[in-house]
Amino acid sequence: MRSRPALVPLLIVTSLVFYDPAKIVAQKSDRAVQDSLDQALEKEMMEALSGTDTSFQMTGSTSRSGSSTNPRISVIGSFLSSGTSNNATAKTVDLGLSEAEISFQSYVDPYAKADFFVGFGRAVEDPFTGPDKGAAKSGDYEADLEEAYLTTLSMPFALQLKVGKFRGDFGKINQYHPHGLGYADLPRMYVNYLGEEGLADRGVGLSWLVPNPLGFYQELNVEITSGALDNPSFGGSSDNLLYLGHLKNFFDVSDHTTLELGLTGMQGANGDEGRKTKIGSGDLTLKWKPLRENRYRSLEWTTEALFSHRSDSAKTVKSVAFYTFLNYQIAKRWFLGGRYDYSQFPDNSKDSEKAYSGILGFYATEFQKLELQYQRGFPAGRKAFNRILARLVFVIGAHGAHQY
Amino acid sequence: MQSLNKNIPATFVLFLFVAWSGYAQKKISIVTSLPDLASIAQEVGGDKVEATSIAKGYQDPHFVDAKPSYMISLQKADLFIEMGLDLEIGWVPLLVDGARNPAIQPGGKGFLDASTGVPLLEIPSGDPTKLRAEGDIHVYGNPHYWLDPQRGKVIAKNIFDALVALRPENKDYFKKNLDAFDKKIDEKTAVWIAKLAPLKGTKIIAFHNSWPYLTERFGLQVQAFIEPKPGIPPTPKHLVSLIKLIQEQNIGSIIIEPYYSKKSAEILAEKTNAQIVELATSVGAEKSINSYFDLFDYNVNRLVDALGKSAHH
Repeated sequence: MRSRPALVPLLIVTSLVFYDPAKIVAQKSDRAVQDSLDQALEKEMMEALSGTDTSFQMTGSTSRSGSSTNPRISVIGSFLSSGTSNNATAKTVDLGLSEAEISFQSYVDPYAKADFFVGFGRAVEDPFTGPDKGAAKSGDYEADLEEAYLTTLSMPFALQLKVGKFRGDFGKINQYHPHGLGYADLPRMYVNYLGEEGLADRGVGLSWLVPNPLGFYQELNVEITSGALDNPSFGGSSDNLLYLGHLKNFFDVSDHTTLELGLTGMQGANGDEGRKTKIGSGDLTLKWKPLRENRYRSLEWTTEALFSHRSDSAKTVKSVAFYTFLNYQIAKRWFLGGRYDYSQFPDNSKDSEKAYSGILGFYATEFQKLELQYQRGFPAGRKAFNRILARLVFVIGAHGAHQY
Repeated sequence: MQSLNKNIPATFVLFLFVAWSGYAQKKISIVTSLPDLASIAQEVGGDKVEATSIAKGYQDPHFVDAKPSYMISLQKADLFIEMGLDLEIGWVPLLVDGARNPAIQPGGKGFLDASTGVPLLEIPSGDPTKLRAEGDIHVYGNPHYWLDPQRGKVIAKNIFDALVALRPENKDYFKKNLDAFDKKIDEKTAVWIAKLAPLKGTKIIAFHNSWPYLTERFGLQVQAFIEPKPGIPPTPKHLVSLIKLIQEQNIGSIIIEPYYSKKSAEILAEKTNAQIVELATSVGAEKSINSYFDLFDYNVNRLVDALGKSAHH
């Protein structure tokens, strides 16, 4: 076994001897002999390296395929079907691809990366609001630039700047795209206060990893955005700059358990000229996932609460909303979840909606999942309903990262 | 007063010297995705570096969670090393982007893809859009290359180059360490091969396709996988076909990674004479595995014990 490695230096030494330049210059005729000797040596070395006996060979290829400067592209389809009973909306059964999303992600240069998300969505009727509000026309897909932003990577002092149109850093789930959530419908708190799609505006955001003596993850994010014209809390104003501050704290309780506590404050003008809406929210997420065999069992519990203070010329409304979601992984591909929603409204704290949901998720692979959700909904001032939602989400193209 | 003035230049020089020596003694902070890389980096970097790993050795390298707390450990790193080949695609990009550390961004001196120049096995050919139909296939080739000790030398050379780029003044020191590492790997490879030589050609079953580099180096033959396709859990039908295969070919051992459920392997073991052999995929998978050398010592000993026994069986 030891003879082979010893052979290589020996060969090198031997060939060096043969390569004595003086000799080559002096005796030209020796060159042919020398060449054939070199060839013989080379052959022997080749045999030594590729022969069956040697233990130190490495087979395989060192070339890397598929390198191009194209961004990572992926397409996500979301097929959402629902059936609703006791329903006042026009349709009780809705079938159809609710959204197709195309994403492009890449580094721009050594200083920044860029993310683009284009969505083709179809309005899905909301049994909480009824047929009059949503004005959904089935089959109509609207293209929308969901997000398009640049993120800096090389700013000093642990700062990161985000410029463009992006999902705001509100609470725990606003930054997630809907297909990444463990349920088929957005919690009522988000729908009623931030809109059916959540908060996504154009502007700038500056985030800072706050150094602290305890060494835990603490991120402060400040965003100034504009364009929330159809936002239920802030919409309709010409002076609609939104100011948002988010503090995220993340703790490792143990190797297997983590705790995230987020605080968000937001302020902006509402429809009534010069009047403001202020929103404060808190989110708490507990995750348990064993490090070893981490794909078989896990538990996630998220609770978010929101307090809104909205004043216009007629009145001041203080309202609240919250939801809590518990998701337990019962087997490698199966998840069982439950969610409770309670929500008042930005301009009305006398009425409220409630909803109970139970969700069974089947995550076939990393690229396909099916969710079956039962919901008992109690809309404000209307009859309670039962709803079944089935959602199939599938991805092709580049493999994305999984946000924790 | 005058004497104080006189001392100012001396104090200044002393200050510079202290500052400089403090700088010179500052260790290069290396954070790696997997502990094998940290182990090799420590070997090559010696006492000039401090190498730590994000993932633990008993974790599935494909599915480490991108916890924000890992970003804090990356924030101060001088060098980040990943296995590459999209093995860590689900978590490393989030951590590197979130670390707010310009030094370790891809393309810079502080980012190293350890797979550079490593000869790879199982590079898929044909239409890449059909790959996912074959399960979790890596487009660049099988990424578990560190399980061949000889490829560990390529990793070490890559780390050496990265360290020299960061601290050219310590080149000779790193070279000495690299040569020592290579020498030890060669010596130990010969020993490991010799130990496993009597078992050359032994047929085994594996759970996931983590082992092509290990089995090629040591001459073992994986006949089938418990996963019908990479990442896809076994069906009853597939298990039945494995039971038949084990019986027909008299296969004695089923090797499994530390992070997979042993349920299906146990069913196979129960129905046949085969035994389950848990091998280590990374440094730290077991308490006794503290270095890259320990990793192979452990796996070779496990294989010799288990396969040797089943051969006599």
